[in-house]
This record gives sequence, C-alpha cells and structure tokens, in this order.
Amino acid sequence: MKHYWEIYKKFVSTSISEATSFRLSFFLVAIMDIIFYLTTLFSVNFIFDHVQNIGPWDKNQLLFFISFMLAIDHLHMTTISESFWRFSDHIRTGSLDFLLLRPVHAIFSVFFSRFRAATVFNGIVAWGFLIYYGNQVNLPFLSWLLLPFMVLIGMNLLLVIEIILSTAMFWIVEGAGINFLRMQIQQLSRWPDFIFSKYTRRVLTLVIPISLVGTAPVQFLLDFKNYQYLLFLILFSFILWAFLLIWWNYAIQKYESASS
Amino acid sequence: MISLKWIDKWWQTMKTAWSNYMTYRYNLFLQVVGPALVFFFIKYNLWNSIYDGDLELEIGGYTLSSMIQYHIWGFILTMLAKGHHAVDLGQEIRLGRISSYLIYPFNFWEFHAASFVAFQAYQFIVALISLAFFYYTGLLGPLNIEALALGILYAQFISIFWFILQFATGLMAFWLEETWILRVILEIMTAFLSGAFFPLEIYPQFIQNILQYTPFPYLTYYPIKIFMGEELSLWAPILTISFWMALGIILNYLLWKRGLKLYTAAGM
Repeated sequence: MKHYWEIYKKFVSTSISEATSFRLSFFLVAIMDIIFYLTTLFSVNFIFDHVQNIGPWDKNQLLFFISFMLAIDHLHMTTISESFWRFSDHIRTGSLDFLLLRPVHAIFSVFFSRFRAATVFNGIVAWGFLIYYGNQVNLPFLSWLLLPFMVLIGMNLLLVIEIILSTAMFWIVEGAGINFLRMQIQQLSRWPDFIFSKYTRRVLTLVIPISLVGTAPVQFLLDFKNYQYLLFLILFSFILWAFLLIWWNYAIQKYESASS
Repeated sequence: MISLKWIDKWWQTMKTAWSNYMTYRYNLFLQVVGPALVFFFIKYNLWNSIYDGDLELEIGGYTLSSMIQYHIWGFILTMLAKGHHAVDLGQEIRLGRISSYLIYPFNFWEFHAASFVAFQAYQFIVALISLAFFYYTGLLGPLNIEALALGILYAQFISIFWFILQFATGLMAFWLEETWILRVILEIMTAFLSGAFFPLEIYPQFIQNILQYTPFPYLTYYPIKIFMGEELSLWAPILTISFWMALGIILNYLLWKRGLKLYTAAGM
C-alpha cells in the first residue's frame, strides 16, 4: 500500500508540474467546472420557482443531492477523469505497453496516473454547496460525519462502472466514442432514481447500477431507515470490482500492442 | 472565383470527410447522437416526474405534452444545427498538421467548411430518422409541414453560426494547449442560456429580459418555437445572428492571421 501511495504522490507532482506550465488552460479548466456547478444548481432552482416538489423531495433535498453529485464530480474530475481520455490514446498508439511493464497493477497505472491540479481548489465551491444544502435539510450529526465517506463510496462505484466500460476500448480502434458513452452514464447518475420510470429505475439499479452512485448515499444520509440502497451499493461495488479484475485480465490478453 | 474545378474540390473534400466519418460509424454515433439522446431521455423522465401524470397542469405555460414536444424539437434541432468540428481543427494546429494546408491549393477554412457540410449531411439523415421515430410514436403530435420546412432552413442558418463559433475555438489552439475547455464552456453556457435545458418561460423574468438582448435565445428557443408552429417574426433572430456571424468571421480572420505568426509547425 505504501509503495502505491509513494507512486501516486509522484503521479500528482508530475501532473501539477505539467499543468502549471500551461497557465491559461489551468485557469480555464477551473472556470469551466465552476460554470458547470452554477448552471446545474441554477437550473434546478428555476424549476422549483414553479413547483413545490419533484417526486418525494422538496427543493433543498434535491439541491443537496445535486451538490452531493457535484462533490463526486469534483473528486472524479480531479483524480481520474483525464486518465480515461488518455487510455484510448494509449491503446491506439501502443504506449500502453510501457504502463503494463510498470511494477504496479495496470489498472492503477492506467487510471490513476493523471491528476488534474487545476480543479483542486474548485473543491471549496463544490463542498461549500454541499455543506450549505446539508445545513438546509438539517442533516443529523452522524450524517455529517459520514458525508466524506459517502462521497468516496459513491465515487468508487462510479469509477468501477466506468473502468469496466472503458475496458471495451481494447476491442475497438477508436475509443473516443466509449468515453462519450461513459460521460452519458455519468449524466444518468446525476439525477435521483425516482425521476425514472419503474423499469428504467430497475435497469439503472440492478443491471447498470449507476443510479446507486448518488441516490443510495443521499437517501441514507437523509434518513438512516433507507439503508437497503446503501447495502446494494456496497454489494455491487464488491461484485463489480471482482468482475473488473477478471474482465481486465481477459482484455489484456486480447491487447494487440500497436507499437510492438 | 466559383468554377467547376473549385466546386469539384469542395465535392471531393466532402466525399473524403464523409468516408472518414463512416469509417468509425459507432464512434460517431456515440459522440454525436448518444449525448443528445441521453440528454433528451433525462429531460423526458425529469419532466414526467415533475408533472407527475397531471395532464392539465401548466408550468410556464406548458402542459406535459407540450413540454415533451419542446424537448423533442430540441433534440431534432441539436442534430440539425450543432456540429463538433473544432475537435479535429484544434488537434491539427497543435500537432502541426496544418503545414500541408498552407501549400495546398485549398484553404484551411474551405477544407473544414467542406467537412462541415458533409457532417451536416450525416446529422440531417439522423435528424430525419429521429423525426420519423418521434412522429410515429405519437409523442410529437401532428406535423406542420410549413413550420417544419422553415425550422429546417433556420436550423441550417444556425449551424453556420455554430461552425463559425467552433472554428474560433479551434483556432485558439495557436495559443492554448487544450481547446476542448473553451468548447465545453461555450456549450454549457449556450445550453443554459439558449433554452436547451428548458423553455425560457421557466426562467425568472429578469433573466428573460436580459436574454432578449443576447443571441442565445435565437440558437435554441426560437428555432424550437418555429418547429412547434408558432408564428414569430424572423427579422430579429436573422439580423442578430447575422451580426454575430459577421463578428465571428472577422474574429476568425484575425485569429488565423495572428496565429500563423506564432505557428511553429510541430513535427516538421
């Protein structure tokens, strides 16, 4: 574990050095994320000027959910999102060979090697909204304690689903389309499950459990009686990580290595 | 000067671009149709959840049925008007591939404009298939052929504006390492302010008042209203967008001229 942590620190410092060399891009990435946060929150606010509730939730509950997803999005953008875009290039050009040769697990090497320094400070904005709306919904003390952990387990499920999907890039020549599909899967997770019809909800909970990413932790944080969702999330996370390890090893065997 | 030879260059470039798009069909589908389809799917479910089955309820003057129709036309409009061309353009500048255009007897912008027309042809086919699907599912209601024709024409006009905007973001590759950031900022802002998220009537009145003085409503809200058969004066949108197009063309010209001075032809 210590070995991985030391390597990760090097990944982070290298990414920071690289990112700060292009200062305008660095600044624009931060601005882009803040615009995304604001437009998302304003959109929901505007809808609530016309209605009292959406499904079983009022304005503050839904905005707490949206803020929770923004916190996951911030963590995702900062720690892993860039690696997914590089992954398709690595496969197409054969530069994946060098990542596979490293003395760490290939999944770690591929998906955790790029750290987006530009968005680190946006965490203040994302978490600021989360804390504000957490306060508005009178989150109990225990929920406040569990909040960072819930963001992490939600993000963990999103991550494993995305890596499973991205592994399909081993079989196709141009992987950018898979990245767009991955982003659409993310979009589906950004809304609570009750907005979807019964059958869609089942698919998004039991087949591609993307709905659990935000809905399960937030339902639990708002009311501890809703623990079933959270159990599903934890169970699916274990199952999907186990599946991913098998799926990944199978995909590696199919890798044709364009550079060799 | 327009000559047969010149037309042939455009035609051949369009054919090449079409072949390139068709080589990675699934990739193209996932990049172009996928996002718009999921965006529509979420909005469809969200508004169904908001209206909660109440067919009489009106929000911002829209019943559930008209709200869904608004978003269907929004989907069709996205297919007809919005390209994603700046991706290639920025990469070509950054990786030094534009060196070859500088010696071709065909301008850089002409090459990309011809590719854009080929891309529009693809989008047009997808839009027609989508339109047929929504029409036969009954979600779209009766079609007004006159409004449809006018809407398609207006959407093509808007697509030229989008091309000019995207061309400008692509040209920023002379100065920026990554131009996708600008493109995403532009898309988020435009989607939010143009009525792509929901009709402008849902926005607070003071924002609606401010938006009247910007080109944003003319990019999504107005064309959707045209498709929905509302009789609107087209002078204001056409003049406003034409003004912004002219500004965009001047901007692109200046960016290109200045950018070329900085160009280092990476890889040469």
